[in-house]
Amino acid sequence: MSGMGRELWFLGRDRAAKVWLFIGFAAAGLAVVFGLMEVTAQRDTIERLKAADEIERAVTTDAHRDNWGSAAYYTFHLTYDPPGPFAFAALGQRDASPWKHRIRMLALEGQIHETDAANPDFALIGRFDFAFVAAMIAPLILIMLLHDLRSGERASGRYNLLSVTSADARMLWLSRAAWRVGALTIVLLIPLWIAGWVSGAGASNLLGAGVALFVHLLFWWVVIACVNTRTWTSTVNLTALLGLWLAFAVVAPAAIKAAVDAAISVPEGGDIMLTQREAVNDAWDLPQEATMTPFIERHPEMEPYAEIEGAFEWKWYYAFQQVGDQIVEPLSVAYREGRARRDELAGRFAWLSPPAKLERVLQRMAGTDASAALQYEDRVRAFHGDLRAYYYPPMFKGEPVTDALLAERPSFEP
Amino acid sequence: MSRVFTIAAAEWRLWMRSKAALAALLAVVLIISATSVLTAVRLTEERQERVHQQEVAEETFLSQPARHPHRMVHYGHYVFRTPSPLAIIDPGVDSVTGQSIFLEGHRQNTAMFADTRAGANVGGFQTLSPASVYQTLIPLLLIALGHGVFVREREARTLAPLLAQGVSGVTLYMGKALALAGLGAALLIPMLIMSLIGVVSGEAVGVSLALVVVYGAYLLVWSALIVLVSAVVRTRGVVLGTLVFIWLAWSLVTPRLAVGSAGAAAPSPGKLETDYQLLADLRELGDGHNAADPAFNALRANLLAEYNVDTVEELPINFRGVVAQASEAKLTAVMNEYAERRMAQEVRQSLHANSFGWLSPVLAVSAASRHLAGVDLETHHRFLREAEAVRFEFIQGLNKSHIEELSYNDDINRNQSAEAARRARISPENWTVLNQFRFEPATPDERFRAATASITMLTVWLMALVTAGVFASGRLKS
Repeated sequence: MSGMGRELWFLGRDRAAKVWLFIGFAAAGLAVVFGLMEVTAQRDTIERLKAADEIERAVTTDAHRDNWGSAAYYTFHLTYDPPGPFAFAALGQRDASPWKHRIRMLALEGQIHETDAANPDFALIGRFDFAFVAAMIAPLILIMLLHDLRSGERASGRYNLLSVTSADARMLWLSRAAWRVGALTIVLLIPLWIAGWVSGAGASNLLGAGVALFVHLLFWWVVIACVNTRTWTSTVNLTALLGLWLAFAVVAPAAIKAAVDAAISVPEGGDIMLTQREAVNDAWDLPQEATMTPFIERHPEMEPYAEIEGAFEWKWYYAFQQVGDQIVEPLSVAYREGRARRDELAGRFAWLSPPAKLERVLQRMAGTDASAALQYEDRVRAFHGDLRAYYYPPMFKGEPVTDALLAERPSFEP
Repeated sequence: MSRVFTIAAAEWRLWMRSKAALAALLAVVLIISATSVLTAVRLTEERQERVHQQEVAEETFLSQPARHPHRMVHYGHYVFRTPSPLAIIDPGVDSVTGQSIFLEGHRQNTAMFADTRAGANVGGFQTLSPASVYQTLIPLLLIALGHGVFVREREARTLAPLLAQGVSGVTLYMGKALALAGLGAALLIPMLIMSLIGVVSGEAVGVSLALVVVYGAYLLVWSALIVLVSAVVRTRGVVLGTLVFIWLAWSLVTPRLAVGSAGAAAPSPGKLETDYQLLADLRELGDGHNAADPAFNALRANLLAEYNVDTVEELPINFRGVVAQASEAKLTAVMNEYAERRMAQEVRQSLHANSFGWLSPVLAVSAASRHLAGVDLETHHRFLREAEAVRFEFIQGLNKSHIEELSYNDDINRNQSAEAARRARISPENWTVLNQFRFEPATPDERFRAATASITMLTVWLMALVTAGVFASGRLKS
């Protein structure tokens, strides 16, 4: 029997190893099942929302056809960010950041920060998804599988015998460990790949996730091997490795987060809201030119129609909604940029914590990371811009509300 | 009794002599200190910042010039949720829920700007707080130091002589357990200090100490478990493997499984989804901006009859204000019904998740900790309810001014000219309908009541493990 084959046979007879491998398999299996259930629930929610939104908009549109101003005031539009086919593996930011929103033509800054969040206890505890299993639990299982490879043999008095009788002692330890690393990778990946196949995730994502997981386990293999070369007892090994796990998987991410959040400040959310509200409300009492002049700077094509005659006209009302957004723009941009820079910096420092890096990599593949949340926000902003571009011309020109024009109203496409 | 202490003291001496044990202890003390200081600084700043923002919001509202009352209804107001003093130990849901709500007429907005949305994302546990250190990290230290208490004696073949000398297994068990419990007690000192800081910043003494006691009981659960496993299992490797497995199951797996199970068993449609149903209900109530809406015909007829006049113009009060007030009241009743239903669903979910505390003391202690510290789901709900009460009160106050201070004719002609718009304003004294809002934590009684179930779970865990330990050690043989 070849050396490699013999080691596989040993692995098959090691009860503790089999138990830990089974735990890995069960954890990964549960994680993908929970992930698939959550993603399905989110998709169903979006479908129900879309249906309700259709009905609601048809009713409100019918009820407010007197002019474009009230049509725009009363009709909300649903926007949403459907989970991708790989989202089940890493639910990421979807518990904390919104993935569904209703907006209308009023000042966007007053609406876009609304969050229809799930139960905060859930966001606090976190989800049992594949990313969590791969990043946090898999290293612990590997530690349990590998920590007493040498020290265990040493304790049972076989170490020297094994080292002497085997043709290449280094190869012996290497192949023994390699079988375990390989077996753990496979038991974790099988549930992932089955679930990925069921939900139609791309092969590149599934392979990419496999490679990322394998590299992550390689890192831990090296860490464990370094500790194992010491002639410590199994328990000292294990204690030291648990300490390293804590350092890499728990303390380092917390330190990175604290440092990044401290290094890059973002404007207080409250300030954005207060500034926006003051800007929009002050406009009621300001001379109408004070609103129309900055508005025309953004929409020069509306200049010929920008004369306001009465004390109240819808176009003036929407102009100061827009100017409210313009006034708060520096803060809003800083809030967005701050979050993007925090994410970027966290990504760079995440190399210090391979588990954190793995979670970020998986979330990126799944489209559930912070940048995906920002992109959704950008799409909502762009859609709000489309709504303005659609409503302004007929509203400013005083055209009647017609079915033909209503049919051209933009609807959100994710 | 003195024997118990002698046994415990022997264990302590052993740890003091071990460089590895001291290094691990030092590392944990460093982590506790760092997270305590960082969390205390962060939460104290948050508290001050939000109280300040609340004051600014109130001043801003009160200093508004003369306006049409309905303008102020839409001008609206902000309320901020200040964290409780004990949030410096356990920030709880503070960082994952929005901290401020915009209050305006006809709408219940969601809480905005949760910290987690703006913070850096590094996966896993994200932020460490003193609470999470005590819940997950310290048990690992106890395992590392304590797993050998019995196995060590077996390996050194000192267990049989000890038993033969007449030291009963139970005494031995008590001594070993006391050694670990003493270590746990020493590790609680930083938390005691933090809870005293909480008392200084206004927290009730009873609930602050109770929080420390709950964590003490939790560390006792671990001590009892570790000594039990060390006594029952014969080889050191298996003891450690078993304990690490239990730690992994209790602190990493069960809490998240509880979340997954609660989400599946008690699904809660979000606010956005129920809002659509709400909108359909609301359409039947009529649009409060439009006094001509047929929904208000009965109201008009009643008023005309009451004042014995023929038209709304002849009424001594402003009919538009009456409609605004009546429709706000009806609307709020419907919105509250939906909000209460949603909150009840969330509470059901959390109860479902917390019941997993019977499977994992980590869940039991974390729920008890959130309840006692006043940073639980219910606290957030109370914030939502109190915010709604503030909203309803000032909106209806403004509507009352609309009815009494502004004539109907000035009101309907307000868009005729700039002069007419000026006539349709009321003086800023009317803005004092806004009451001061300061969010206070629930009373200690309420918090104890909320924590009872989780504390019971923890107590049962402790009694079961101690009973098992005493029973097993009574049958100890070498």
